[in-house]
Amino acid sequence: MSLPSEQTAGGRESARDVAVWDPLVRLIHWSLALTILLNGAITDDESKLHEWVGYVALALVGIRLVWAVCGPKNARFGTFPPSPARAVTYVRAVMTGDRSVHLSHNPLGALMVYNLWLTVIAIGVTGYMMTTIRFFGTEWVEEAHELIFNWLVLSVALHVAGVAFDTWRTGINLVRSMVVGRKRIPRGARRK
Amino acid sequence: MMLPKLFGKSRERRATVLASLILLQALCALFFIGDVITDLGQGEHLDDLHLALEALAAVALIGGVVFLMVELRRLLSRLGDMDAGLRVARGQMVQVMDRFFDDWNLTESERDVAMMILKGLDNATIAQVRNTAPGTVRAQGTRIYAKSGAHGRAQFLSLFMEELMCGDFDAAPGADGTP
Repeated sequence: MSLPSEQTAGGRESARDVAVWDPLVRLIHWSLALTILLNGAITDDESKLHEWVGYVALALVGIRLVWAVCGPKNARFGTFPPSPARAVTYVRAVMTGDRSVHLSHNPLGALMVYNLWLTVIAIGVTGYMMTTIRFFGTEWVEEAHELIFNWLVLSVALHVAGVAFDTWRTGINLVRSMVVGRKRIPRGARRK
Repeated sequence: MMLPKLFGKSRERRATVLASLILLQALCALFFIGDVITDLGQGEHLDDLHLALEALAAVALIGGVVFLMVELRRLLSRLGDMDAGLRVARGQMVQVMDRFFDDWNLTESERDVAMMILKGLDNATIAQVRNTAPGTVRAQGTRIYAKSGAHGRAQFLSLFMEELMCGDFDAAPGADGTP
């Protein structure tokens, strides 16, 4: 009895679901977000827990980098190369009202992805250095650790703003796609 | 129509479980690797039983992670293939149905009813959806079967099943019962 309504809910006419993020990408994304939240806001900076959460964050980025080499297409480096030139072209296209849909990261978002990974690695490395005898108590290492963390907070804020903006612009709920793995592409949208 | 959906769901769940295992196992592997490296840095040697076991665990875990990653990739690409295949089949099926309906000179309302019959709705439900009397639907059904040359619902359905199974979507509609 529910069949006719299901047909429209399935959205054959209006939109269709395309699988974009595999489960490993999604798990790593939200785990990394959790570790950043934990270490940024909850754990005591001097505690062992802070160290371990930091190592987990480093490991998560490491696993993601491996998956970016051998994973499925949308997760790989080749799909979203770090190219400022492409990002500029993309920004121009957005400003002229281009609404084409990117299945993986859009070129600007791709830059943010690399920025976030590098920032987390830098925080992890400086954090580890503080635990070593050689750099223990060294002023500049601690300052770098905190400075880069501030950069991370700014980056995350920009990342969230970018996701909100793109969701508003293309009408594709990006947060949902990072949870369920599929983007709902409106009928007739140009795909890239 | 329900079956492929359920099938896809269970595979998706499988992929999620695989991904979680990969993540956990990779974290464990990295933990052991880090532990082995610090132990070596503190002057221990690999011939120490404890350290050798840890190194072995690390190697085994990495092997497991690699294996699971390959497995997940294979599963994901199979999921993608199935998705694409279903989409193609659906698109082709709609074309096939349209050609049959054209061939049989079905009216607009008969097309609607025929579509719902193919979707497995019974007469009472079709009447409810179309806001008509069950008798009307029954009459429309009889006319559809007559035009298609089928002797009833089962044979009508089998006309399409046959088209799906023969593998050649371009084959001309096989019904010869056009009035």
